[in-house]
Amino acid sequence: MELNINGQRRTSTADPSMPLLWVLRDELNLTGTKFGCGIAACGACTVHVDGQAMRSCVMPVSAVAHQAIKTIESLGTAEKPHPLQAAWIAEQVPQCGYCQSGMLMAAAALLDKTPNPSDADIDAAMTNLCRCGTYQRVRAAIHRAAGHMKNGGAA
Amino acid sequence: MKRRTWLLSALGATGALVVGWGVMPARSRLGSPELMLKNEGDVALNGWIKIAQDGAVVLAMPRSEMGQGIHTALAMLVAEELDVPLGRVRLEQAGSDSIYGNVAMLVASLPFHPLDSEGEHKPTKIKMAQWVVGKIARELGINATGGSSSVADLWEPLRMAAATARASLLQATAAAWKVPANEITVAQGVMQHASGHSAHYGQMAVAASGSTPTGITTKSREHWKLIGQAAPRTDIPSKVTGQANFGLDVRLHDMLFASVKMCPMLGGSAVSMDTKDALALKGVSKVVPLDAWGGGTAGLAVVGQTTWHARQGVQAIKVQWQAPAAGALDSQHIQANLLKALNTESGFTFHEQGVPTQAEKAATSRIDALYQAPYLAHATMEPMNCTAQVKDGRVEIWAPTQVPLMVRDMAAKVAKVDKDQVTVHVTQLGGGLGRRLEVDFVGQAVQVAMACEGQPVQLSWSREEDMTHDFYRPMHLAKFQASLDDKGDVTGLRIKSAGDAITPRWMGRAAPHLSGPIDMPDKTASEGLFDLPYGFASQHMSHVATKSGVPVGFWRSVGHSHNAFFSESFIDELAAATQQDPLAFRLNWLKDAPRYAAVLKLAADKAGWGQALPASRARGIALHESFGSIVAQVAEVSLTHGQIRVHRVVCAIDCGTVVNPGTVAQQVESSVIHGLSAALFGRIDIVGGVVQQTNFPAYPLVTLSQAPQVETHIVPSTRPPAGVGEPAVPPIAPAVGNALFALTGKRQRALPLVA
Repeated sequence: MELNINGQRRTSTADPSMPLLWVLRDELNLTGTKFGCGIAACGACTVHVDGQAMRSCVMPVSAVAHQAIKTIESLGTAEKPHPLQAAWIAEQVPQCGYCQSGMLMAAAALLDKTPNPSDADIDAAMTNLCRCGTYQRVRAAIHRAAGHMKNGGAA
Repeated sequence: MKRRTWLLSALGATGALVVGWGVMPARSRLGSPELMLKNEGDVALNGWIKIAQDGAVVLAMPRSEMGQGIHTALAMLVAEELDVPLGRVRLEQAGSDSIYGNVAMLVASLPFHPLDSEGEHKPTKIKMAQWVVGKIARELGINATGGSSSVADLWEPLRMAAATARASLLQATAAAWKVPANEITVAQGVMQHASGHSAHYGQMAVAASGSTPTGITTKSREHWKLIGQAAPRTDIPSKVTGQANFGLDVRLHDMLFASVKMCPMLGGSAVSMDTKDALALKGVSKVVPLDAWGGGTAGLAVVGQTTWHARQGVQAIKVQWQAPAAGALDSQHIQANLLKALNTESGFTFHEQGVPTQAEKAATSRIDALYQAPYLAHATMEPMNCTAQVKDGRVEIWAPTQVPLMVRDMAAKVAKVDKDQVTVHVTQLGGGLGRRLEVDFVGQAVQVAMACEGQPVQLSWSREEDMTHDFYRPMHLAKFQASLDDKGDVTGLRIKSAGDAITPRWMGRAAPHLSGPIDMPDKTASEGLFDLPYGFASQHMSHVATKSGVPVGFWRSVGHSHNAFFSESFIDELAAATQQDPLAFRLNWLKDAPRYAAVLKLAADKAGWGQALPASRARGIALHESFGSIVAQVAEVSLTHGQIRVHRVVCAIDCGTVVNPGTVAQQVESSVIHGLSAALFGRIDIVGGVVQQTNFPAYPLVTLSQAPQVETHIVPSTRPPAGVGEPAVPPIAPAVGNALFALTGKRQRALPLVA
């Protein structure tokens, strides 16, 4: 099966019912996307499918075979961070860091649709669980990134 | 004030017998250069510090990073002494020598009252006991990350190691340049002299090695440039790009994946299993029956091409399980037994002062209350996992762990090899919370790897296995009895609590060689009850240690996590019963505890205690000392549509000298949310041996939309550093409970709180 992951064409021999998460992690070694609950309850496995934030732990890989999949590995780099990643560092968001890939991907999808989100928008979009309780910094970092992007910072 | 500390004399004497006085004399934790990893170009100057060719400082890191920012804080200590930028300190996992063991954590396990044991004027008996236990800890060299102890433990040894390295470098440089060492200045890792000489550390490291400078002192605090300033955490950049390497992210050539199914009944085992269907699945290669390692439960593992294949295999196996011989556990039954134990057993007295029975006889009124807290799971975001390879008589382990030496010992035991044939790589931890002080999953991984003919295998647990096979925070009950005189003043307080003691169970499974035939009294059971700061004339605090059979473990802030709810809610009850303001009542009884009073006042001031709030909102206050730090919190709470809503939490903390204030704020925020999830939602029920909550929908965590705004105010201090990772957990449950009482007039005496 052909997959479009982070702008690259990848071939997977996976069973069609295998969740995208495990194809990414165990077959393609893209380990930035995390396993947390297996039932789409925590959001650690959040990736973008055609620009939508999706929880990959319950998404059969066959369902996304012809769509553009984007993972944390392509959000930005240390040298060229996405404004959200820069804001995450500025606000010192992560603690253990395990849930943060999913948090960032959920936040990126939010800003794509809602460039200047209100607190209520953030409440509604950011349903990912963080055991370290980084929530108030997540909120502050999303506002910071939105402000930066409004002032001409690239996404 | 006379307090009973006789227990400690006994402990001290036992320690002396165990270790022998001969090994007691003070010994430095500086360590020798041979303890460090040998890398081409690096020059080791002692057991902690190497200098790389490019002048970077390499620090031996014995503590695990699980979100608490410890890798940054400890690097700051050596960067400070060596005058290098924080970014020039590289970390290398420390070896197994006892200099890397955690001394402070063991000393803190002594059941002293903090008002007696803090400061310079502590009684000789306490000083002696702390010294003896310190020496024992030094010999044992238990390398553990826990008990909010890392900075407290390494504060002196690391600064001394760095200062000693700096002195050798300066001595060698002075000799090379033929100038007095005290004329050389260091900035940003570069040494300079007015004569025009200049060199970085890397250029002088070879000359410096082997020198033994004497009379080393560390920088005095007025010269600190890094300590006390908020520093960006060094681990954060890799955590925003997905590059941080957690246990589950280990990828090795030819690696297999294993998934686990344990007997659903805690402590049970498999009678029989039919593996035919599982082995017929594509991508499934093996089924390995699992023994019960490290106090865990027996079961099976399926090995496959990916975690998913392994999990499909697990689901296809038909197993007949059996309860343990002692019978299936039941939390309701255990609760009834705890109540019985409270009423019939005398327990161990952790604290007594005044004459409690006299105060009780003379009392004109009494206030009684019974409090309770349920079992809790850790639920780290990264479920339990371990990667292992057993090949040619050697074992290699990659594990997110708080106890690397116990991982090594477990691997050696399972694989039946010598400990020195085991290599342990500590990864980043997707949360520790005390769960990763256990090594049950390591035993499983090694057992599976032994069946994989030299191939590495990554063993991981589903969320369901993780939640139903935890080492749970034990259920606890506590009975309070306050005596009041005819003026309504509190003259006596008696507290008796009951619940499983954690430490002896943990020692038995994690360090059986240190475990004795009788359980010693466990401070963690009574902490937060026996050590209250309030000056009631007569006090008696005892604990009945039970053995329920439930696997119990250390949960962030341990006994304090439930005992603070009990004690600070009851203090609030006393304020209400005597018609006093909760803040004024506490301050009135803190006249001999000025540090506590100052923290409480700071939180109250910043929260606007006593000022008007919107209708339908109320404030609750709580104060608690744990891990050497005093924390007060004021929570603003409302009840809307049958939901408890916490809007704002103002927190004041006195944690001694602060290394990285940015991390203190992070940890306070984290602790408040952690404690709030437990206060609002946390409970684990066991029925027929089976844990009923299996995943987040049944064991919810506070979400972003439910999270309060947390404000952190740090009390300036020149005392030695104390704990930061846990002390802000305990006060949140009573602060919220007390606010609910202010809102509704109804006192809640059980967790989780109900709307």
